Amino acid sequence: MTKFKGILPILLAVVLIFVFTACGQSKDSGQINLMTWGGDFIPREIIDEFESETGIKVNYKEVTSNEDMQSLLEANPDQYDLAVVTDYMVDILRQNGMLEVLDQSKLSNFSNINPVYQGNYYDENNEYSIPYAVSTSFLLVNPEAIADLGADPITGYSDLWQEELKDSIVVVDWSVEVMGIVLKSLGYEYNETDPEIVEEAKQKLFELADNIMRFETNTPEDSLINREAVVGFMYSNQAVKGKKADDKLEPVFPREGMPIFIDSFVMSKQAPNKDKAYTFLNFILQPEIAARIADITKFTTPNKAAEEYVSEEYKNNPMLNIPDEVAENTSFYINVADVLEMYEHIYSEFKMR
Amino acid sequence: MKKLKQNAPAIPILIWISLLVGMPLMFVVVLSFLSRDSLGNIVFRFTLENYKRIFDPVYLRVFLNSFILAVLTGLITLLIGYPVAYFTTKLQPKKRSFVIMLIILPFWISSLLRTYGWIILLGKTGLINSLLMQLNIVKEPLNMMYRFGTTLVGMAYMLIPFMIIAVYNSVDKLDKSLVEASYDLGASRWKTFLNITLPLTIPGIAGGFTLVFIPSLGMFFVSDLLGGGRTIFLGNLINTLVTRGRNRPLAAAFSVGMIVLVLLVLFIYNRVAKDKGEGLF
Amino acid sequence: MNARAGRFRTFYLSLFFVALYVPVLSVILYSFNESSSTAHWAGFTLNWYRQLFNDRVIAEAFKISIQVAVLTSVLSAIIGTATAIIAMYVTKKMKKAINGIMLLPLLVPEVALGISLLIFFSALKLPFGHLTLVLSHSLFCVPYVYIMVQLRLNDIDFSILEAAKDLGAARWQIIRTIILPLVAPSILTASLLALAISLDDVIISTYMSGAASTTLPVHVFSMMRVGVTPKVNALCTLILVGTFFIVGLGQLINKKANKKEAF
Repeated sequence: MTKFKGILPILLAVVLIFVFTACGQSKDSGQINLMTWGGDFIPREIIDEFESETGIKVNYKEVTSNEDMQSLLEANPDQYDLAVVTDYMVDILRQNGMLEVLDQSKLSNFSNINPVYQGNYYDENNEYSIPYAVSTSFLLVNPEAIADLGADPITGYSDLWQEELKDSIVVVDWSVEVMGIVLKSLGYEYNETDPEIVEEAKQKLFELADNIMRFETNTPEDSLINREAVVGFMYSNQAVKGKKADDKLEPVFPREGMPIFIDSFVMSKQAPNKDKAYTFLNFILQPEIAARIADITKFTTPNKAAEEYVSEEYKNNPMLNIPDEVAENTSFYINVADVLEMYEHIYSEFKMR
Repeated sequence: MKKLKQNAPAIPILIWISLLVGMPLMFVVVLSFLSRDSLGNIVFRFTLENYKRIFDPVYLRVFLNSFILAVLTGLITLLIGYPVAYFTTKLQPKKRSFVIMLIILPFWISSLLRTYGWIILLGKTGLINSLLMQLNIVKEPLNMMYRFGTTLVGMAYMLIPFMIIAVYNSVDKLDKSLVEASYDLGASRWKTFLNITLPLTIPGIAGGFTLVFIPSLGMFFVSDLLGGGRTIFLGNLINTLVTRGRNRPLAAAFSVGMIVLVLLVLFIYNRVAKDKGEGLF
Repeated sequence: MNARAGRFRTFYLSLFFVALYVPVLSVILYSFNESSSTAHWAGFTLNWYRQLFNDRVIAEAFKISIQVAVLTSVLSAIIGTATAIIAMYVTKKMKKAINGIMLLPLLVPEVALGISLLIFFSALKLPFGHLTLVLSHSLFCVPYVYIMVQLRLNDIDFSILEAAKDLGAARWQIIRTIILPLVAPSILTASLLALAISLDDVIISTYMSGAASTTLPVHVFSMMRVGVTPKVNALCTLILVGTFFIVGLGQLINKKANKKEAF
């Protein structure tokens, strides 16, 4: 024991200082509790600005998935005011009766939202959700490397099956998305449940096995940057990052169409600070603020009025400033339980071969 | 009555753990017999469907795969960790604590980052490949990522301190006089190790193996990042089913399967160890 | 001890430490990388450190993590050691029961544990935050301490204990003067491990932290959707350098103290 005597008190002392500086938080002008993905999903500088402007403190609970948010919200609906969840989760939460019907009269800035992103299946009448960030997934390719391999240029999903692309594709690691690629390449739609079509897709998927070198959800763009892969199917914010790190990479919006994700603000039915939550929503909906958020987060802003305030970089980037004809060719994953189950099993079989 | 008095101090601890772990465990078992609706909400309708599903050949392969990974992780940490622990006990007492501290320190930083550390090392443009190319040892970068072996290295790296510390505790308290006696009888260093030290440290090995084997069944992001997500392990599957797969009853059935698997391993171990009078659990 | 064996020992340990620290050093190296991606090296920068010092969220998360980890490791050290000592005195059957139950927290998948505890603590109306974090973390740290301490207690020389008892020592006196000093090193190493386990937990912490508290690992994992920046590498570098500094200082003081004792 003696041998530790020197280290121990110092360690303890340092650590205790931390422990006892813990307590004591001021709560003057009230607060709101917000829950969503961390990092700069809702940029801190925007939140700081809101706090100093209104004196309302924002508690930002960071989570890693939509389902975590659902669990947390359903366990303690009276602890959270706002959450940002993805489209399908809006649908689940509203059907489970967790969401507050938003009072449009308190949302002076809602009209800023682009009608294209309103009235979708998960909230037909814009009662429960306010679109915050839009993202898509598409292909990021390295045209030079593809030519070097002797493969044809890639314009859509069906080009991914070329033999020359052996071991050179990286895809997002999620059964629904990978099945989506296959279904689209066969000319079907997402969320297909017809057993015959699903079986056909399964066979087609198995043919893709040799071409996929890696399944990666969080940093697929890295594989293109370090030249492990020549094509990647990834989310738009990742593709933007990849393109920025390596100008040789080019986005390809598959001609078959692509998935779209709309992350939206929702309010808990039992939100403890509803009025302040509306203040926050109105703040976020301001065009200048929305534009800055889009520039920081690299997500497309659903805020139509923000478009005149965004940076040149954003304006000239088709991955962010999605052209209308591309935007029309997008669809949602509905993530219905039966679909998930079927796809997950096929996906497991695919990987375990 | 005397027995009760003798056991009384243990009761609070048993209640604490049984309550906080036993309850979730019951929850998992009950959940595994329930169904869920199209939104993924749990429906209180009894079904055996989930268990039928985990006996699907595809999912059985997942079990096998995870079992192999966990056993190999246990063996590798043992092979590498045992000498580390053993040699550490041979150091001067003052150095010993320092070495143990050095072993534990890296584990105070995020495991996610440490996994990224391996990617930085082993990647196609990673440090090792850059070094080898600079020195003209290889022409083309070596392909070290996204293999089963990479996952194994990552897993062993994450869990090795548990093995080392467990073995260390068990070697350290070893009765030195036994070892001396063996030397006095003319046994070689190697023979002494095999006949005295190793058998006496089996509880440490078993403890370390348990502490490595069980968590390695549940780890998920290591195989995603280092193995390139090319195969599925139990930890990944359960995690996916709970979150994006929104099939908690099935995830619960897999969890029960995993627990049964571990209990089976412990049971077999206990049987074997009992014959040698070394039963730990 | 002959010289060759000593050299081999040093060689093996050095090799091990190289393998142990090289990935950590890569993490440190890339905290100076200009690109935010780990895929390539884009040049040297101190930018991430600058950003780190301006980031109150990461500082707050770090503080919470340390507080929770310290409280957890202290609590689990006490409970784990107490249980291991109690287990010496109970009946054989009871000891088996304790051994079995101590493994339970390791067996239940973390997600299941997290969600069940979330529901349970919500029903109890416990405030989510430090309390729930420490309670849940200790749950899976206690077994580690228990197993480590027990390994040392396993074949303790009972004749000493008997002798002490014959001499009229009370049980707690025996525990304090004989058993505790004997197991002290393993308590310490086990609590250092518990500290590491608590500092690294993501899944349970996600469910157990309150609306206003996020621990560091949760912060890091929740960043993945937007991208983990080398800011986190920078923080880890500082943590490591800091701990090394403290450990080194401890060693130094230790040496001085020993010298004084010698006089």
